[in-house]
Amino acid sequence: MKFHLLIFFTTVLASVFVSMGVRLSDEYVPPKTSFGDPDLQGIWTNRSLTQLERNSSARGPTLTRKEEDMILARLKANHNTDTDFYELRATDARGVKELEIHGYDGIYGDQGYRFARIGGRIRAQWLTDPIEGMVPYNKKTLQFFKKRQYERLYSFDNPEDIWPSERCIIGFGSTSGPPMLNVLYNNFYQIVQSPGYVAILVEMNHDVRIIRLGGKHLPPEMRPWMGDSIGWWEGNTLVVETTNFNPAQGIAATKGQPVYVSPNSKVTEWFTRISNREIDYKFRVEDPEAYRQPWSAQMRFLAHPGPLYEYACQEGNLDVELILAGARYKERQNKGAGHVQRDSISLKSQVPPRLQSKSESD
Amino acid sequence: MLRKIGGALLFGLGGFLIGNMWFQPVTGGLPRAADGHPDLSGVWQVLNSAHFDIEPHSARAAMAMRPGPVIPVPAKEVLKLGAVGSVPGSPGVVDGGKIPYREEALKIRDENRANYLDRDPEIKCFLPGVPRATYMPYPFQIFQGDKQILFAYEYSGAARNIFLKDPGPPPDDSWMGQSVGHWEGDTLVVDVTGLNDQTWLDRSGNFHSNKLHVIERYTMTAPNVIQYQATLEDPEIYTRPWTMSMTLYRRLGADAQLMQFKCVEFVEELRFGHLRKKPLK
Repeated sequence: MKFHLLIFFTTVLASVFVSMGVRLSDEYVPPKTSFGDPDLQGIWTNRSLTQLERNSSARGPTLTRKEEDMILARLKANHNTDTDFYELRATDARGVKELEIHGYDGIYGDQGYRFARIGGRIRAQWLTDPIEGMVPYNKKTLQFFKKRQYERLYSFDNPEDIWPSERCIIGFGSTSGPPMLNVLYNNFYQIVQSPGYVAILVEMNHDVRIIRLGGKHLPPEMRPWMGDSIGWWEGNTLVVETTNFNPAQGIAATKGQPVYVSPNSKVTEWFTRISNREIDYKFRVEDPEAYRQPWSAQMRFLAHPGPLYEYACQEGNLDVELILAGARYKERQNKGAGHVQRDSISLKSQVPPRLQSKSESD
Repeated sequence: MLRKIGGALLFGLGGFLIGNMWFQPVTGGLPRAADGHPDLSGVWQVLNSAHFDIEPHSARAAMAMRPGPVIPVPAKEVLKLGAVGSVPGSPGVVDGGKIPYREEALKIRDENRANYLDRDPEIKCFLPGVPRATYMPYPFQIFQGDKQILFAYEYSGAARNIFLKDPGPPPDDSWMGQSVGHWEGDTLVVDVTGLNDQTWLDRSGNFHSNKLHVIERYTMTAPNVIQYQATLEDPEIYTRPWTMSMTLYRRLGADAQLMQFKCVEFVEELRFGHLRKKPLK
């Protein structure tokens, strides 16, 4: 009898440990939610000086500490003189110098203070493939992207010509994506899980990405903003597949990191919690019609105390009204003397040379 | 010997089963989370027409009316919608029937109605606030996590974080306010403060100030039913706190999912059409 009881309690104990997921090895095993899914919940940030494509000062995919320090010193110097945010224009017809404010006060910037460390290396780019650090657009796509970037600088005929982020449809850059890329500010995400779902609240533009576990995609003619996401678990990794992108979204771009995700792309993301404070985030973008090859990247999300704040964009948006009204005013002043220029040097400096001109040959 | 092994195996099997059961959700009756509270996760929607007018009312021709030769008629801007633009009747969701407005506040409510097309924030696709978000004619989804509850509304992608630990007073007013939740038995009680004064309670001009304090109660009475109650307190606008009550139904079936309703771009022609390079005639 004693023998039987021993077996009984040993098995109970063993099965308790097994269902709690305790392993005997040192490898980090993420906690599970109360319903048994790996727990990715919490508030996370991907803010970093590392961007998708290779930093212009880097000579390879990684930086040395010295190289990073030099870049940081230069950024600090520039920030103090506010050349990112202010531009002194040439004198106007009355001989008055105009101080034009392009964007925001330095106070809004929250793009991080260092480059990302992954696997002990300082990353100069999120891209892992191609390792050269440039998104492999094909010729046709690059031409289209350049054309749209050019139009973005010079065309204000309709609200639809303005960036989706300035129209308050989605956040700047590819903050919600997918893929979810770090931008100038509001780099915060909150993950909440319930049985059958993973919800990611993207602070900008208060967008909830609802990932249906084991779900099926919408029909191909339905093209929501941020695409349509389904997911499943592979061990402790959440795999998310997104298709059905809205054609107008891919052209969203932001300072320093313009990226075009074509509407027929399939974006696959892998989320793995690798410590209590870090999620490893990998993604791959595939569209043989738009890219010379699929491209992949790796990023980290770090835990943050939060909280997330409300990003009520539409409710306070003056951008669309004032941009259009301003363009109409300038047209009346010019009386047809060529099209209205949004602005000059500073905005152009935010767009990499390869995307600036309308023509393909640059 | 064989008997001993057989017996041991039996005990072992029993032990294994019991050990695993400790981490399964308790079933029977309401769906419950691991902590024993009802699991409100799922897609929910009201089946009433409170979004038109939360007070009792008969059907009427349109949301925006103007004086007619005999009785009021639909405003010119909405005339072409015909019956599609009409408002269904409702016994109302306000306990006691009428909202206890202060006299000056009631005048403003009536002005809101008279100037409906200029004033309803829903027309501009603005965030709906609380409690209007609950009974918009679109579903919402609750994600009940262990430490946080998230409400995602189909209308305009509005979202609410329900803090389960009080973070202190809200740092500023916002459209969806700050929500702090706790359980009282099987009822999730959500205390909402920090609402701004920009939202309405329905499409009939019912409104509030930024002193509004809402206490919501979500009580799951059956696996697919939540009884919802919201108590509104706003000493600037109402003479006393008052309550609204309604039923939330779980959306079931293959189409029980939130669709995207990002109405921002739908209202651009309305708001900015006149600023196009070539405005439409």
